[in-house]
Amino acid sequence: MRDLNWYFPKSIAEAVDLVQQGKVFPHAGGTGLLSRGFTGINGLIDLSCLPLHYSKIENDSVEIGSMNTYAEAVSVLMKVDPEHIIVKSLCNSAKTPLRNRITIGGSIAYFPLWSDLMSALLALDADVMLIGKNDGQFPVEEYINNKEVRDKSLITAVKFNLSNWRSYHYRDIRTKSDYPAFNITILLKQSLNKIEDSRVIIVGTGKKYSRLTNIEEYLINRDVGKINIGEIEKLVEVKFAGKRIEDPEYSSYLAGVELGRGIEQILRGH
Amino acid sequence: MEGAFTVNGKNRKFTFTPDERLLFTLRENGYTEVKNGCQEGECGACLILLDDKPVNSCQVLTASAIGKNIKTVKRIGDLHSPHIIQRAFVETGAVQCGFCTPGMIIATYALLRDNPDPSEEEIKNALDGNLCRCTGYVKIIEAVKLAAKRMKIGVMEYWSTGVVE
Ligand SMILES: Cc1cc2nc3c(=O)[nH]c(=O)nc-3n(C[C@H](O)[C@H](O)[C@H](O)COP(=O)(O)OP(=O)(O)OC[C@H]3O[C@@H](n4cnc5c(N)ncnc54)[C@H](O)[C@@H]3O)c2cc1C
Ligand code: FES
Ligand code: FES
Repeated sequence: MRDLNWYFPKSIAEAVDLVQQGKVFPHAGGTGLLSRGFTGINGLIDLSCLPLHYSKIENDSVEIGSMNTYAEAVSVLMKVDPEHIIVKSLCNSAKTPLRNRITIGGSIAYFPLWSDLMSALLALDADVMLIGKNDGQFPVEEYINNKEVRDKSLITAVKFNLSNWRSYHYRDIRTKSDYPAFNITILLKQSLNKIEDSRVIIVGTGKKYSRLTNIEEYLINRDVGKINIGEIEKLVEVKFAGKRIEDPEYSSYLAGVELGRGIEQILRGH
Repeated sequence: MEGAFTVNGKNRKFTFTPDERLLFTLRENGYTEVKNGCQEGECGACLILLDDKPVNSCQVLTASAIGKNIKTVKRIGDLHSPHIIQRAFVETGAVQCGFCTPGMIIATYALLRDNPDPSEEEIKNALDGNLCRCTGYVKIIEAVKLAAKRMKIGVMEYWSTGVVE
């Protein structure tokens, strides 16, 4: 194999300098890098010794260091809110030994079509903390869509609020060990009998992810008793590309049904 | 490239390519108890404890293990001094071809260390990364329950009587 250098920086500043070289990639859990392969990569930066393995919860604000694994993120949030959407989305993601390896930072940077993490982070309007060419706090959606923001920058953490959303996460799998064909995250805020706010995200669609703003608008300010699940299912218009795991038309149909079921479950508990 | 890490209590220097997976480094250096199944993170045959967490060694780049602590199934117990978990697997008939067994033992060990009294659901979740093409899992779950029961009663008592009802 051609040259591939490994770097073991002792500080974040050292890692940032290495990232500026271009073609030198951070190594977090390594599971995405292994499936991507090493074409176009001259070097790997081991992040495991850097202080990116922390978590902070202050008032309502949660900050999870990028080197926390899926399993660690779940256990941090379990302590404060066992019903949190990140707990629901990650506790069944992949499999136990993989959840001990897959990191939060690597999963944001890699963002595969089957990502359980990203549907939840997008729904939460989470922020990504960056250091490098771009320093600061960026909405996760901007990080995904703006190559300039991602360029030569290291993810140090993800931030979101612990607001009291009622939530639902669905993974479209045939067997427990499948990669999901798509993921749905629904967040609803209810005050008395009205829906105050809502977020609906599907990851795995033709555009990688879709925010279903028409469903969000349908729900907001509506009396819970006047929510018609049949109407919602008809409003779901998502396109899936190619036949990755299942037929795209079937995925669209199923997404509508599962979205309806999810809303029903949040509202009426079944 | 070269790098040192600890395997089963011994710190050793290993030689490997920069893109080599830990599964192959371990097997090529005699740790053939780490099984090579799918190489894709699907089957769990290659499970090891990396800094005490069960991970798929086929999904770990060897260079990223430098300075870390690795345990294979042989560190848990071997033919001469089998661990309670290994005995339970044999006694319940949870081993047929045996290919999945090292990974199953590692996953069970990590589960019972963190949760000595798991429910059936928790056992299934902890073993969700381990596939077995022979047993149908019924005997494996039975083995985990038996091991949990024996470990709860206490290692000493178990070893002095040899039997736990
Ligand atoms: C068999 C299998 C099944 C899986 N199933 C699922 C599933 O069901 N759901 C799910 O959500 N995921 C799943 N995954 C995980 C997913 O496919 C990716 O492999 C994973 O999200 C990548 O995370 P990592 O920590 O291993 O990243 P790495 O492989 O280390 O890195 C991935 C990319 O991110 C970059 N990177 C890493 N860290 C940073 C950082 N801090 N800042 C900037 N860039 C960085 C790397 O340079 C690389 O380009 C599965 C993986 C496997 C192997
Ligand atoms: S060989 Fe590693 S999971 Fe199958
Ligand atoms: S005993 Fe044969 S694969 Fe499990």
